[in-house]
Amino acid sequence: MAIAKKVPEMLSKQISFCPGCGHGVVVRLLAECVEELKMEKNVIFNVGVGCYSLATPSIEADKFDTLHGRASAVATGFKRCNPDTLVISYQGDGDAYSIGVGESFSAAYRNENITVITVNNTNYGMTGGQMSATTMPGQKTTTSPHGRDCNTTGMPIKFPEMVAATFPNAAYVARGSVTTPKYVNQLKKYILNAFKAQLNNEGYSLIEVLSPCPTNWKMTPLQSLERINKELVDYYPLGEFKTRKEK
Amino acid sequence: MEDMIKGNHAFAEAAIRAGATFYAGYPITPSSEIMEYLSVRLPEIGGVFIQAESEGASMNILTGASASGVRCFTASSSVGMTLKQEGISHMADSYLPFLAINVVRYGTGLGTLDTGQSDYLRDTRGGGSGDYRTFVLSPYSLQEAVELIDRGFELADKYGMGTILHTEAALGQMMEPCTFPEMKKVERRHGSIDGTYSFERISPLYRDRLKEAIDEKAKYDSIKENEQMWAEESLEDAEYVIVAYGLAGRSATGAVKQLRAEGHKVGLIRPITLWPFPEKAFAKVNKDVKGFISVEENATGQMVEDIALTLKKSDKSSKPVYMFVDAFGVPTMKKIKANFIRVKNGEIKEVY
Amino acid sequence: MKEILFAGLGGQGILTSGLVISQIAVSKDLNATWIPQYGAAMRGGTANCTVKFGNEMVYNPAQEEPDILLAMNNPSFQKFVGMVAPGGTVVIDSSLVTCDTNVREDITVIGVPSSEMAIEMGHAKGANIIMVGVIANVSGDITEEEGISGMNEMFRKKGKSKFEEMNTKAFKLGYNFKK
Repeated sequence: MAIAKKVPEMLSKQISFCPGCGHGVVVRLLAECVEELKMEKNVIFNVGVGCYSLATPSIEADKFDTLHGRASAVATGFKRCNPDTLVISYQGDGDAYSIGVGESFSAAYRNENITVITVNNTNYGMTGGQMSATTMPGQKTTTSPHGRDCNTTGMPIKFPEMVAATFPNAAYVARGSVTTPKYVNQLKKYILNAFKAQLNNEGYSLIEVLSPCPTNWKMTPLQSLERINKELVDYYPLGEFKTRKEK
Repeated sequence: MEDMIKGNHAFAEAAIRAGATFYAGYPITPSSEIMEYLSVRLPEIGGVFIQAESEGASMNILTGASASGVRCFTASSSVGMTLKQEGISHMADSYLPFLAINVVRYGTGLGTLDTGQSDYLRDTRGGGSGDYRTFVLSPYSLQEAVELIDRGFELADKYGMGTILHTEAALGQMMEPCTFPEMKKVERRHGSIDGTYSFERISPLYRDRLKEAIDEKAKYDSIKENEQMWAEESLEDAEYVIVAYGLAGRSATGAVKQLRAEGHKVGLIRPITLWPFPEKAFAKVNKDVKGFISVEENATGQMVEDIALTLKKSDKSSKPVYMFVDAFGVPTMKKIKANFIRVKNGEIKEVY
Repeated sequence: MKEILFAGLGGQGILTSGLVISQIAVSKDLNATWIPQYGAAMRGGTANCTVKFGNEMVYNPAQEEPDILLAMNNPSFQKFVGMVAPGGTVVIDSSLVTCDTNVREDITVIGVPSSEMAIEMGHAKGANIIMVGVIANVSGDITEEEGISGMNEMFRKKGKSKFEEMNTKAFKLGYNFKK
């Protein structure tokens, strides 16, 4: 039986992503969690540069488009000036882990009380599917047309694991996925945990989301979901790497 | 009389007195004493002090603070300011006010640790990508710096743009007495981001960029008309006019006074706003003036270009512009005077 | 307008000597500036600063032509003696400046064994304050009382008043030094 679920009021306008893209699910989950916590009039969506920049026009809440890679730094400024406001930094893997790795790492290092959502689709989606720091070994992209050679480009970065292992004070770190209803429900729990941690002043929280990019992967939406479920989760395991101390 | 105070400490205190409550920055010689001072002073007043991971990040942290409507500032030196340009350009595009103190150290790239005026062109032309300007204010004393820091914040708020306090290593490192105004309380700017979504936010994708560009041009024209600042000496009968800013301008002020006492008809224009350039000062110079001399603390001459451009659209477009450049230090009054005599005797060829 | 150049080795308290003189001038309601040598040249152990004070505004705060040079080691004397204004004075620590100091006829050289004097008075780190006393006297603009009160007030404000007695003694020793 189909369940009709109300679209969050914050997302009044339509968002246009490619068919099968995972961003729409993530944005919707974020909005649902904000509304469930009744924070829609006390939230700042701070957004980096990537396909997800297309989402900001439809988010009816305080929001700011930052420079590429700098979202965690800008979010720091927002949070320090608005300590009681829920500050969300929405970024992609290229944004957060390559050009913005310094800002991402340093926000975690300072244990800024913000929530960083990084959508990992293993490539630079908006610019046409170039290799990113999370591109898998052998994966073909427009800048690794023969498949990623990890001997010359390095191995894909596992940022959540690094944060969890490096910063003992970080409040909450997890990796989720949008590829099955079960995973979507699990991801929503992660997001709620992260938001609650932030609102309880517990410190830095980070959620990476494995998300399909059928357009650049040159796959159908279904094939893309299968790729994540069969291939990516082996290298990028799902789950909580750091749980809240207080609940 | 007040006590001796170090320039960098005076800049930091002046910003606090002007109501600034937020600083983000990265250490660099010769401006680090600003952040050292603030690491203690800002927490005292309940403000925010952040030692960022990089110059660039400090500017982006400031972006969040300024978008939140909080009076905020940063400081750096030359090559550090280069790294901030990304954020400066983005803040310009978002109409976010800020103050950045550039304690210039001479040189290209990494540069030197010595004093200088080698960032004139970069700072007055915007500096980052795009089609924008920032206010550029240059003090010649610590007292003037204290006043310009307050003025700089007010201008930034009024026009929704950045202000650079463009000073030099020698002023940041020197000491002299100065008086500070009472603490000012500044409210968060109307319409800023505070989480309540009380104001509509237009996504960059939906902004009318063409209309904004035309509005910017009108704004800059209005600033050029209304916000020029300078100091002057004896322009009515000057045969030659020396143009210099910052500590070079201070030394030139002394040199002009001495030359006048020795019977030379020499005048002075000391730009205080480097952008907008004080074109109106040049209109006050008598039409029989024989030439202008730019005195700068660099090797290639930078402000000299603005002097020539300013004269081009005035009734003095045919007047020669000379320059005396002295990298690595504040030009002494002795050298300024000697070079003036050389210009007067026809021993130096004009640049324009 | 007086211009005084304080030069020596890092750690000799040269910059403090200059600051004390400038603060004494300020306490007399004079205009004053203090500017250190900085940049790459400050690495490697040498230190110097220029102090200017007088009734009118100090225009160029940086080195122009010092009326008085304090040289606390050989390199400082050799590097700066040529810049001293004709008719000017050079004060040297005669315990440390061992080179030939008879190099110009148009200046006066005053030798003060301040390092030895400081050890004798039991305040080994006070040589720079002894020299402050000497310079205050040589400048002709500062009385002994003005000097002592200006100096002690400065250290008091910095929370360093515990050396007040020794500093006062050192200043007096320098101020009353007989050539």
